[in-house]
Amino acid sequence: MTDTSSDSAAVPLVQVRGLTTVLGGKKVFDALDLDIARGRVTAIMGPSGTGKTTLLKHITGQMHGDAGQVLVDGEDVARLPRESLYVLRERIGYLFQNSALLSDYNVFENVAFPLRQHTRLQEDLIRNVVLTKLQAVGLRGAALLMPSELSGGMARRVALARAIVFDPMLILYDEPFVGLDPIALNQVLKLIRTLNRELGITSVLVAHEFAAVREVADHVHLIANGKRVASGTPAELAKGDSPWTAQFFGGALEGPVPFQYPAPPLASAFGFPGVAP
Amino acid sequence: MKQFAARLFDPLVDGLADIGRTGWFLLGLLAALPRGLTYPRELLRQLWFVGAKSLIIIMISGLFVGMVLSLQLYYTLSIFGGTSALGTVIALSLYRELGPVVTALLFAGRAGTAITAEVGLMRATDQLSAMEMMAVDPLAFVASPRFLAGVIAMPLLVAVFNLMGIFGGHLIGVTWLGIDNGTFWSNMTSNVSVWTDVINGEWKALAFGALISLIAVYQGYTAPPTSEGVANATTRTVVTSSIAILALDFVMTAFLM
Amino acid sequence: MNPRRSYAAGTGLFILLGFAALAYLATQTTSLVNFDSGPSYDVTAEFTSVGGLKDRAPVKMAGVRIGTVKSITLDQKSLDAKVTLAIADRYNQIPADSYAKIMTSGLLGDQFISLSPGGSPDNLKNGSVIANTQSALQLEDLIGKFLTSGGSKSASGSSK
Repeated sequence: MTDTSSDSAAVPLVQVRGLTTVLGGKKVFDALDLDIARGRVTAIMGPSGTGKTTLLKHITGQMHGDAGQVLVDGEDVARLPRESLYVLRERIGYLFQNSALLSDYNVFENVAFPLRQHTRLQEDLIRNVVLTKLQAVGLRGAALLMPSELSGGMARRVALARAIVFDPMLILYDEPFVGLDPIALNQVLKLIRTLNRELGITSVLVAHEFAAVREVADHVHLIANGKRVASGTPAELAKGDSPWTAQFFGGALEGPVPFQYPAPPLASAFGFPGVAP
Repeated sequence: MKQFAARLFDPLVDGLADIGRTGWFLLGLLAALPRGLTYPRELLRQLWFVGAKSLIIIMISGLFVGMVLSLQLYYTLSIFGGTSALGTVIALSLYRELGPVVTALLFAGRAGTAITAEVGLMRATDQLSAMEMMAVDPLAFVASPRFLAGVIAMPLLVAVFNLMGIFGGHLIGVTWLGIDNGTFWSNMTSNVSVWTDVINGEWKALAFGALISLIAVYQGYTAPPTSEGVANATTRTVVTSSIAILALDFVMTAFLM
Repeated sequence: MNPRRSYAAGTGLFILLGFAALAYLATQTTSLVNFDSGPSYDVTAEFTSVGGLKDRAPVKMAGVRIGTVKSITLDQKSLDAKVTLAIADRYNQIPADSYAKIMTSGLLGDQFISLSPGGSPDNLKNGSVIANTQSALQLEDLIGKFLTSGGSKSASGSSK
């Protein structure tokens, strides 16, 4: 594994090729192609319901596409046997939208959880690692609080500490900015930047707050209707030379993304004669 | 007509599908069970959660059931002039039938719902997905300890329930109704057998414990991730396990005894 | 760490309590209570019918429990029921010509064997055979006898 990564530092860490996924009769992805470069912060944006979170679940192997493949560090996630998949997952940190801290355990034990599950480290070593990670997110003092005693922003930072406890190669942030006040938002932004710049962790974030994304992201993929419709640096996308970016970042009501959910003509719904489908 | 048939059969098909899915879930759970044994601390926590915390309600209920049995059976036996058999009849009713069944129904209400609500909440707040992402199998870490705890706790709770029932029955029969203490015990001890009565009841307890915790964990595990979904799943746990207990009780009684 | 220890202790207590309850039920409220594990000697007795007598039924003398029924088999030669009684060693002064009778406790109760003392100077010992026995009183026979003797005197007379 180290061979492939050192040989091919230029090869993207995550390669999505021709991914097609049908969920409940709806095509969530339609031959989707996209790359996530190593050591960068890549944002995946798009209108609600375009399967951005679903894409993250494909990268972690929690879901599989109906066609195409998802390569993570050169390995086809859908083909991996369970054990190898679990080994791969140990190298991926995942920050859930609602933090997903284990409610039975306090902050310290939550961060220690992956260590206790996968290593046989001495108690004082675990303590050092956990406190270091908590220090990094600024919550060392909260180690003995229960998750129910944390604010949303604090819980997200604890979840981040837990996600980086194994120093992963890749962190997936699922909507990291939702429901945060401006102060907490800035803290999370700073953490994402720090983890990427100082530890070189490849970061993928799913979000739709363009203002926050342009602060941290090196690269943005815009997804709509199951396809990648635009890519580039935040500055490039903000210029808006395609109708997609114009609508999404300019906020126009009508555009490629329709305001109306697909439906038969209004007249036929009202039952006017002569226009029945 | 077609609609009527659909309304009649759809719940039936849904119910069958639910049984089928529970069966599949059981297979996955059994496969994960050996790995679940590597979390003894979780098992201990769950034994506390479903077992020790159910103890008070089980003891109080056992006492009252024994007292009521004593009154009712005394009345019935006195018609035949057989009140000396009171101890025997109380013990046999408790060990073979009421102990396992009443304990199981209480257990479904007390521990089963708690398991469903807890696991459902873990599902709704992505804790189960988070475990998968941390390369920890939730079937082994969450489902197995709860299932095992139910299987272990039920026979112990039934023994406690029966014991309290005997004491309650003794309290009413001997202290209040005035049956001779020696008659009460000697009649019981000469007619109640360890294997066909006490142990058969414990087999039932074991089966009910497995059934309830399977249903409770399954319902929580598959609950829709909304507050309504978790609430409905909790209700379904009580309804499904109550019916399943009584049906299985009939089958086991017919085959075991 | 403290709450963890307290629930661990509580769980331990629960498990102990459960097993203690089970042990109590199994040993103090069942026929195991009557199981005399002390040393005993075996005596056999043959009955034409044992009725509803079961293994481990009590053997009593003057109402006092002195042993248990160890086994009940059919003797192929005499076609009688051969019952082996295990009598506790401490009751070693029972006359050899004692009389064994299958009795019922109460009208519908369980059956047991009652020994009535004989007058012989010899005592029962391991392997002795009790010669004088009376079989179980069958309620059906009793009723039948009552009906026939009440119905026609000649019939009962001829059967004698």
